[in-house]
Amino acid sequence: MANRPSLASPTRPPLWRNATFLKWAAQIGVLFGVLALGSVLVGEAMANMRAQGLSLDWDLLTDPPGIQLGEGIFIKPSTGMEAFYTGAVNMLRVALSGIVAATVVGAMVGIARLSSNWLASRLATVFVETLRNIPVLVQVVFWFFLASTLFPVLEEDSSGPIPGVLLVSRKGVSFAWPFPQETFWQWGAFLVVGLLTARWAYRTRMRRAEELGEDTRPLTWALLVFLAWAVVGWFAHPLAGAIGWLFMLLGASVGAIPVVVYQVLLALVSLYLGWRWIHRFLESRRSPAGLAKLTDDDYFRMILAGALGAGGAAVLMLLPAATEVGTNVVQYLLEFCDQKFEFLRSGAPLAIGTPSVDVPGRFPQIASTGLTMTPSFFGIWMGVTLYTASFIAEIVRGGILSVPKGQSEAGYALGLRRGQLLRMVILPQAFRVILPPLGNQYLNLSKNTSLGIAVAFPEMVQVGQTMFNQTGDTIQVILIWMAFYLSISLLISVLINYYNRRTQLVER
Amino acid sequence: MENGAANPIIVCENVKKWFGDFQALRGVTTSVEEGEVVVVIGPSGSGKSTFIRCINRLEQHQEGRIVVAGIELTSDVRNIERIRSEVGMVFQQFNLFPHLTVMQNITLAQVWVRKRSRSDAEQRAMALLERVGIPEQAAKYPGQLSGGQQQRVAIARSLAMDPKIMLFDEPTSALDPEMIKEVLEVMQELAGTGMTIVAVTHEMGFAREVANRIVLFDEGQIVEEGPPSEFFANPRHPRTKMFLSQILSH
Amino acid sequence: MSAESFDLPLPPEPPPKVSRIGWLDWVRKNLFNSVFNGTLTAVLTAGLLLLILAVLRFVFSPDRRWEVMPPNAANYVVEAYPREDLFNMWLSLWIVAALAGFSTASWGMRGQVSVIKVVAAVRAIGATALVVGVLSLWSPAGSATQTVLVFGGVALFGVGVGAMRLVREEREVSVARVLAIVGALLVGLVWYMPLESGTTWPLTITALVVAAFHWVGKLVGQWLSDRLMKRVVTILWVLSFPVIYLHIQRNPSLVWEEVTSWLPWAGLLIAAGPAVIWIVSRAGREQAAGVNFLLGAVAIYSWVIQWPMAIRVLFLLLTLFSLATPTFAASPRARRAFYWTWLAGGVCTLYLFLAGIGSTDLATRGHFLGGINLTILLAVGGTALSFPLGVMLALGRTSSMPIFRILSIVYIEVVRGVPLITVLFFGDKVIPRFLPPGLDFAGEAKALLAITAFSAAYLAENVRGGLQAVSKGQTEASRALGMTTAQMTMLITLPQALRVVIPALVGQAIALFKDTSLVAIIGLADFLRVARDIVPNQPDSLGSILENLLLAALVYWIFAFSFSRASLRLEKRLGVGTR
Repeated sequence: MANRPSLASPTRPPLWRNATFLKWAAQIGVLFGVLALGSVLVGEAMANMRAQGLSLDWDLLTDPPGIQLGEGIFIKPSTGMEAFYTGAVNMLRVALSGIVAATVVGAMVGIARLSSNWLASRLATVFVETLRNIPVLVQVVFWFFLASTLFPVLEEDSSGPIPGVLLVSRKGVSFAWPFPQETFWQWGAFLVVGLLTARWAYRTRMRRAEELGEDTRPLTWALLVFLAWAVVGWFAHPLAGAIGWLFMLLGASVGAIPVVVYQVLLALVSLYLGWRWIHRFLESRRSPAGLAKLTDDDYFRMILAGALGAGGAAVLMLLPAATEVGTNVVQYLLEFCDQKFEFLRSGAPLAIGTPSVDVPGRFPQIASTGLTMTPSFFGIWMGVTLYTASFIAEIVRGGILSVPKGQSEAGYALGLRRGQLLRMVILPQAFRVILPPLGNQYLNLSKNTSLGIAVAFPEMVQVGQTMFNQTGDTIQVILIWMAFYLSISLLISVLINYYNRRTQLVER
Repeated sequence: MENGAANPIIVCENVKKWFGDFQALRGVTTSVEEGEVVVVIGPSGSGKSTFIRCINRLEQHQEGRIVVAGIELTSDVRNIERIRSEVGMVFQQFNLFPHLTVMQNITLAQVWVRKRSRSDAEQRAMALLERVGIPEQAAKYPGQLSGGQQQRVAIARSLAMDPKIMLFDEPTSALDPEMIKEVLEVMQELAGTGMTIVAVTHEMGFAREVANRIVLFDEGQIVEEGPPSEFFANPRHPRTKMFLSQILSH
Repeated sequence: MSAESFDLPLPPEPPPKVSRIGWLDWVRKNLFNSVFNGTLTAVLTAGLLLLILAVLRFVFSPDRRWEVMPPNAANYVVEAYPREDLFNMWLSLWIVAALAGFSTASWGMRGQVSVIKVVAAVRAIGATALVVGVLSLWSPAGSATQTVLVFGGVALFGVGVGAMRLVREEREVSVARVLAIVGALLVGLVWYMPLESGTTWPLTITALVVAAFHWVGKLVGQWLSDRLMKRVVTILWVLSFPVIYLHIQRNPSLVWEEVTSWLPWAGLLIAAGPAVIWIVSRAGREQAAGVNFLLGAVAIYSWVIQWPMAIRVLFLLLTLFSLATPTFAASPRARRAFYWTWLAGGVCTLYLFLAGIGSTDLATRGHFLGGINLTILLAVGGTALSFPLGVMLALGRTSSMPIFRILSIVYIEVVRGVPLITVLFFGDKVIPRFLPPGLDFAGEAKALLAITAFSAAYLAENVRGGLQAVSKGQTEASRALGMTTAQMTMLITLPQALRVVIPALVGQAIALFKDTSLVAIIGLADFLRVARDIVPNQPDSLGSILENLLLAALVYWIFAFSFSRASLRLEKRLGVGTR
């Protein structure tokens, strides 16, 4: 080489001028500050609580809470666990039915806003602009008081606007509903098989359509296959009861193994995951020319992964209770499933219940024969559903508008019909835009169910507040809330991310 | 030392750099004299951009040493700051600040980094805008200028910091053909003033006329370097021959 | 014409006359253009008529108690605020009115609106009134109401139609004039409204203050440059809220003996600030870092030892100023600006402290904030306070430093994963646990803290979107020019990022405004709680809960809707502005 300069021996910068050192010193300093502040606050809180005769234990989960809930599985829960379980199930009832209803209403209104019908688009606009600009809490409270003051008073001979189907009263709205019977799960097994085979049939027919170039009606086929299984299952479900033995066997074997074995296994898995992450990371930095020089951030990542793996293992080994809870839950679930199946148990899987009135004492009540929405449920459900629907409508509208006009022009130029264009060109693209914000709205709806507390609907927050009013265990209750809502949020965002990735993969 | 380097202002010794498992620089050793104009060429992905971005530490090299204007590039915060104000850089995408006017673009760093008073900075900016030929555009926003004008503002912005070295990272690649000329003229004028220049460019005419030395990069290393007359007339390395035949054939 | 030079054979022609579309054509085209649409129109019309009838039956039912609202006006707006001190509330309103009038002058009300649009609005109002009036014949409405609706509707509709024939061509009037006329009409209405006594004059004064300060603003605007004027207006707005809520409405009385022990020291600290800034800006890099390190150590230590709170906060502020000095106050001009900012900021902090520690003189029932007043405090305060926190979190989340990133992500995701009500309960029930026994904040302050903490996480995500939209080339160019990270962030990245996300930030502010209604659940007397519990539970207004809830819905709607419209306009203007 022409230029091979020689350099003076390198000088190391002093520590206080070293960028890498300063960067990490600042970070560790702040981290230390945050942790110190946290520990001071927690220490203060512990001292205060001790002074008030409270402690940070979890007795509230096992003690009888001495509270009564408005509705749900356990109206008079015998443990705090039962109370929270009731609240969680109530919350999920509102959230799941609300998500379905809000999606349907929102999609309809969103499409109506783009309609060429002037009246439809105007009404849809009014719907959206009214509902999304009023606080959801105001709406929830309004629907609750509307139901409990303007609906007709329940009389002994009330039969509602549609006798036998719908009963509207101040004590609730009750309607006819197919209730699953004790053989429902056996039939459900057939439905699952039906779904799987229907999917298989759909794919096979699609492949044939591509091979032969003719319409093989895959959707009709899939539907027919599913219906066939449903019909067969309706009569043959007692045979599916045999599945129960499988669950029994599994449950027995899970219970037979001592907890320590699970602990060790899970700890090993945790260690392995940490090790695998580091291993893969290093592999990704290895090239034919040798291992790349690692930066300080790389080291940090590896240390963090290792620490998380080791920390997880340590927690699992030191706290057998965590593993025990896990195995108990699994065992409980298996037992639960086992009870749902019994070989040759027969009977119709579904039975339609109709609304009726019951007079236990002096006052008429809605009997539990139909599916009943109490005024509280009605309030929270209407409130969060319509509020979310107004946002979903905007998302759907935006999604459809986001598909460039050139796409429809190109589709028409290829000779597609309007329906084909919508199904094959516009909707797939719109769906990709709609999905992420839609997931956000589902999250919001789930979180807004917590407003049930304002109308005395016993969901998580209302139950929690009732609990800590009794026991004073605010910190524990808030931790339970956080754990619950964070799991729900995590679940929804994982689902949405999964579908998002799938639609995007299809896209490319 | 062997060739009696008079006054090297940039010295690189065995510089290596990885992006993940991809090695972008595989040991680059070279030096640049004060007042020298070096043109770096090479196929895309050959590491030439990474190399000049290492010189003002927009990228950090991981092994080897770089000394610029007597300051070694280490993780010493003081050195990094000093280097950046000694070395000006012009980018392919201009990277003017869209929320500031042309005048503010040029004065901003003078005021905040060079600590000049605003009036001094504005005077200097005006002089530089005249030098690059667009004094009348001072009050406009970058989005209102043509690509060539934007690039000339970017050059003025760098020069306003009184750098000892100017780095050009494909300054004409994002320009329409008729605007390339106006930018090259400014660069040529700059080279005439004795400024040290390291430029990555595909403008072979510029390289032939202005450069003191051409450096060919491939696969993260220097394949061949030499004065343009020698480099174009009788390249030694077969890789150089192939590269030249490809870019000069049309 | 330009045909002179080339003399081409085809002269331009006027466009073909468009025959006016009759309303029957319009109906056919927009409502009955296909079988499906025709059916849809029929069904929707029937449904709409039934809905309107149901609403009218509800509204005009003899059970409704709309008459409880006017006497409760003060409850809705200020709730428990002592009625004998109501002047303070009027003063607050006038300050806001004065600022609003002043701002309209500097922000320019140059907008024009076409006369045809105004007339069309009048016509539409008339038509609506007429339809409602006719439908009200089948409702329990009194004949007087029906008459007013029908004949008023006919009259307005007639005026609208007539005016429409007169103003055919494109005439425009300024928005300011239309607003002035509407304002005058409203003031006129105030004089005929059965509100609580003593509101007519103050409301009239409010309108006059707006008008007067509009002219003051115009006058001042002739002296000050546009940029300076905007800066002054912004500073005044920022200052007005703490002054209103801490001083005017709290009416604190200060026991001077309690502050004399530390007040001189605080004054000394403020006076010493410029000296510190001067020293740090003159010293070399390492010396400045040394001074800053020392200041920081003392600032942190001051929280361990028993220094007066004001001194602690002032010292912390001084440390922050001193930290920023090397990067932002090195040139003489910037240093002078820094001196003034420090002095003004220090005096303001001191003032807020003095106002904040004084005990209130009001004869209250435990609290004095309530009603719409509290709602506004929570919404404005929450937005203002969550802004810096949110920006910091966003910077942390996009930072190249992994620990900052992890801390920000954990905070943002945890807060965004839980409902606001749990955060409010956390503030209400858990914050007192962290404080020494016996010490507690007011419920309003705790709610404000919780709302701020909650909103900051959402704001951070919005700002992050903006930060990610700033191209990498921008940061590279600033680095190549030798800027420090702080300079790059403050001068290049943040300005560009914030400009992109302004519409999202306004949306976030609207969401926060709606969310403030949740404080009703933890027992604060905000507007919703007044409408839901306080007014309907008064003996003379029992059974008016639905009416009150509808009022609440209407008021929230008006605020939220007008803000979202304003945001849309802003978005359009910004869209035009970005080149």
